[in-house]
Amino acid sequence: MRNLYLAGITAILLSVAAAAAAGAASYTADTEQSRLEFVGVQAGAEFKGVFHKFTANVDFAPDALAGSRIDVQIDMNSVDSKDKDRDTTIRSKDIFDVAHNPTAHYVTKTIAKTATGFSAVGSLTLHGVTKDVPIDFQFVPAAAGAKLTGSAKLNRLDFGVGQGDWKSTENVGDAVKINFSLVLKPKT
Amino acid sequence: MPNQNPPTRYSAVAQGFHWLIAALIVVQFTLGWTAQFLPIGARKLARLDWHKSFGMTILTLAALRLLWRLFNRPPELPPGMTKFERQAARATHVLFYVFLFVMPLTGWMMSSAKNYSVSWFHQFTWPNLIGPNEQAFNLLKSTHDTLSWLLFAVAILHILAALKHHFWNKDDVLKRMLPFTKSEKRS
Repeated sequence: MRNLYLAGITAILLSVAAAAAAGAASYTADTEQSRLEFVGVQAGAEFKGVFHKFTANVDFAPDALAGSRIDVQIDMNSVDSKDKDRDTTIRSKDIFDVAHNPTAHYVTKTIAKTATGFSAVGSLTLHGVTKDVPIDFQFVPAAAGAKLTGSAKLNRLDFGVGQGDWKSTENVGDAVKINFSLVLKPKT
Repeated sequence: MPNQNPPTRYSAVAQGFHWLIAALIVVQFTLGWTAQFLPIGARKLARLDWHKSFGMTILTLAALRLLWRLFNRPPELPPGMTKFERQAARATHVLFYVFLFVMPLTGWMMSSAKNYSVSWFHQFTWPNLIGPNEQAFNLLKSTHDTLSWLLFAVAILHILAALKHHFWNKDDVLKRMLPFTKSEKRS
């Protein structure tokens, strides 16, 4: 038993040491200043919405991508498309079904450098369905932390978002754009 | 060059504007009226989507029609109409022009206030006139609804007046707006 504890503690210490050696700094997003936005197409016209509540934990260093990771938890109830009727509809059973799937989760698996910034592939769990979604982002260190901005594209029907009448892409497009801007503060 | 003498019939362009817009208004009434009974959902969204596309079509046609009207004289009212009848006819026609602009504009603003940008048959998106605002939406919606009933009333008056001219006065007021007919020469 004691050996197991020791092994566990050693493992934790080793991984912390590895992260430190790799140089990935740990941050959390200041949600007050951060923004998580989606852009959908409805009745032929784009509309924007945001999620007010989400948490983001980021381990990142441009020169230690193997040890870097972006992890975001989204409170699906906090959806706001500047129209109460639409928000109620989006939360309902046929769309987000927040009663059964109150949170969405995104966590990166691999991060790579690109000509303009970084790209990552991560798994997104949305509406109870998990699928890989690539993102592109920029990481800009700031005096007290960093700023992480980027975008992604996904197809809502891949995640079963839109059942019944909402399955049709005539009224609501399948493609959804995601834009994010995270203000990162070092973890204390 | 504008004609020196007023024409005796409405031109093909004037008739085209009149009947096309009249038909679209009937479509708009049907779509708008039936949409309000639908529950919030995909069918309502689709019906209002058509309503908005047709509405923006009417707004565009109204702008073209007004522009055209500024440079083209309509036929004169038949002789023998009383001063009151002339004023009523004039007021009705002016009101129609007001409705042709105010109805689509309040509808467009409603959509903007509710953060539903207006598409034109899914070909392009019109810019939002105002920002999202629930109070403004409610005010605009009641204005749009009330005006639609006023428009309905004015349209009934207009139709009854045209029929009265045709069957009672037996003048060419109706015929000169009808394609494929000839107006009798007035003596």
